[in-house]
Amino acid sequence: MPNLIEVQNLGKSFGDNEVLKDINEVVKKGQVICVIGPSGSGKSTFLRCLNVLEEPTAGKVLFEGNSLTGISENELNNLREKMGMVFQSFNLFPNMNVIENIKLAPLRVKKLSDDEATKQAQDLLERVGLADKAEQYPQSLSGGQQQRVAIARALAMNPEVMLFDEPTSALDPEMVGEVLKVMKDLAESGMTMVVVTHEMGFAKSVADEIWFMADGAIQEKGNPETFFNAPKTERAQDFLSKILI
Amino acid sequence: MKKKSFFLVIIVFLLALIIPVTHAKAANDNYLQKVKDKGTLVVGTSADYPPYEFTAKENGKTKYVGLDISLAEKFAKDIGVKLEVKNMNFDSLLVALETHKIDMVIAGMNPTPERQKSVSFSKIYYTGDQYMLINKKDAAHFRKIKDFKGKTIGAQTGSLQYSLVKQQMKGNDVKGLAKLNDLVIALQSQKVNAVAMEEATAKAFAENNRNLKVIDPGFDIDASQTGSAIGFSKGADSLVNAANKTIDEVKKDNLINKEYIPAAAKNMTTNGKKNSMLNYWTYFAKGIEYTLIITVVSVFFGFVLGTLFALMRLSRNKLTHGLAVSYIEFVRGTPLMVQVMFVYFGIGAVIQSLPALIAGIIAVSLNSAAYVAEVIRSGIESIPAGQTEASRSLGLSQKETYRYIIIPQALKNIWPALGNEFVTLIKESSIVSIIGVTDIMYQMQLVQSATYKGVIPIFIAMIIYFIMTFGLSKVLGYFEGKMKHA
Ligand SMILES: Nc1ncnc2c1ncn2[C@@H]1O[C@H](COP(=O)(O)OP(=O)(O)OP(=O)(O)O)[C@@H](O)[C@H]1O
Ligand SMILES: [Mg+2]
Repeated sequence: MPNLIEVQNLGKSFGDNEVLKDINEVVKKGQVICVIGPSGSGKSTFLRCLNVLEEPTAGKVLFEGNSLTGISENELNNLREKMGMVFQSFNLFPNMNVIENIKLAPLRVKKLSDDEATKQAQDLLERVGLADKAEQYPQSLSGGQQQRVAIARALAMNPEVMLFDEPTSALDPEMVGEVLKVMKDLAESGMTMVVVTHEMGFAKSVADEIWFMADGAIQEKGNPETFFNAPKTERAQDFLSKILI
Repeated sequence: MKKKSFFLVIIVFLLALIIPVTHAKAANDNYLQKVKDKGTLVVGTSADYPPYEFTAKENGKTKYVGLDISLAEKFAKDIGVKLEVKNMNFDSLLVALETHKIDMVIAGMNPTPERQKSVSFSKIYYTGDQYMLINKKDAAHFRKIKDFKGKTIGAQTGSLQYSLVKQQMKGNDVKGLAKLNDLVIALQSQKVNAVAMEEATAKAFAENNRNLKVIDPGFDIDASQTGSAIGFSKGADSLVNAANKTIDEVKKDNLINKEYIPAAAKNMTTNGKKNSMLNYWTYFAKGIEYTLIITVVSVFFGFVLGTLFALMRLSRNKLTHGLAVSYIEFVRGTPLMVQVMFVYFGIGAVIQSLPALIAGIIAVSLNSAAYVAEVIRSGIESIPAGQTEASRSLGLSQKETYRYIIIPQALKNIWPALGNEFVTLIKESSIVSIIGVTDIMYQMQLVQSATYKGVIPIFIAMIIYFIMTFGLSKVLGYFEGKMKHA
């Protein structure tokens, strides 16, 4: 499988605080990667560097061989549309209803016709099980429903990769399942995914590879089987022992 | 009569700093020729000073009348040009003269030595006595200066009467107000026990109000200070000479006492007869029209400019950011009144033909823009960063993000604050009356002068302002409701 994302010597500091330290990793097309690790270890920052919502302070990120740093705003926008992102806090646009949220980028960025965009948005809502909510405003939806709309919104740009930053952490427990189900279906459809998560069950059953992050570096990686049953590093053992109680 | 006020000194001083002074001191100046070339003599006055100058209604139209106006008419006729009267605050007259907005000032003005430093005066054309206006019921015990021991005396701020009271009634409190009308209200409501006034003016008030009386308290008058003269730009000797010729003729025939004052008195009594407020509704209607024009136009430009300044302030470019911050802070740190005067007299000195209305609109718009910019900025900053991130991660540009995501949400959040700013604008626009824009406030003062009624016009103006602001709040509330779902 070809490399989709290449991370080379990536570093990120906020002032004196060095949050990411010389990371070198590759995401292959079709891979599902779950990033886990203790709070504050730099997982979100790492994910946000992948589509340059955070500007790296060292190294670079390549997407399909193209550097994402040191390019014009226009070029960056063109690459970003191929990388869907889902946030912990959904970030739906409250001034638009559900279907408008999904259609916005296809209309404005891809310049689809309204008919095409509507048709596509309806299909996506069907896929995430919310076909009947098209005309509702985000505030009237539950958290789980909002997050599913957010996933549909990202998918509407037909991205090559989907980045998830703890997509279920802000949800009431009874809604976590519906979102994970959508993500699992997506993984099975062959979508490349990088998922920062605390849902170990999901990571175990869906991930092709687990990246364990601590202190701004990927300390250990491997397939879920090996990682969860026999973590090699002490940091990972320590982390898992606390999580699995 | 009135003296140069402290405020005026400051303004003239500031203007002197920015306007290159180029008054020719030559004997053969071309001031007279310029006026003749224009075909109009533009005269500045402050028409709340009967019988010198005031307004009267004739066939439904407002016109300026009084002995000064009659004299100005004769002067214009003598030099063969038309007369145009510009009415403004007394304090603004000399600045207007200095910045060539007017050709001359005739406003019962005394040629005091300090004024002579910046103004060329004609001969004195009229000298009046200094009297005192009191409530009729006090007539028995107030006769001379000494009867007023411990009492409060009112006088127009910066006027000759004010200095007279200060100097010759040392044991008394002086209450200074800018408008004679307000002083008379103060007298009627016993806030002051007497108002020092020029003879003819005092008589006019007494004639129009049964409860008031004029007395001669016996001020010790220096004759050279009580006469009225016409003011011209410094060095405009050709105009001064022409005016002196007219004044000589007027004096020879005693026209002021025989014709001008009787004519003024007639206008004053007709005014007095018609002083039911209903006769003056056209004044207020015109005031509403101007207040609305100023507000609506200023709201529009204030919003457009305010948005611009807000975006500049949020910009990462240091220069644009700095410019916006300086502008906003400066405008918010100076009074609107000073800004209005600066635009009219300052910018007006460069662009001679800048009308007061336009100057008022410019000043109020620029002022509003600074406040609107801050409201918009706070609105934009209140939108969570997640909204921008979601939008950018979808591939929308920064501009598209502002247009589709941030501005619509910000606008909804700040709608009440913006609405409040616009309501404020209706009220604050009243300040433009000081440069002679004929808004509600200005018309109110005209009606006060014309009817000799102080409080009722204020009350009417208050009601009008309230109806306008309350109505606007309701309209804005309606739109706010419509935006609720978003
Ligand atoms: N914008 C920022 N400015 C300054 N410091 C930041 C910023 N964003 C993150 N950090 C710091 O970077 C470090 C890593 O934060 P990050 O959010 O990447 O951790 P995380 O692994 O995602 O944690 P969590 O599991 O709690 O989400 C933290 O110390 C945090 O304080
Ligand atoms: Mg995080």
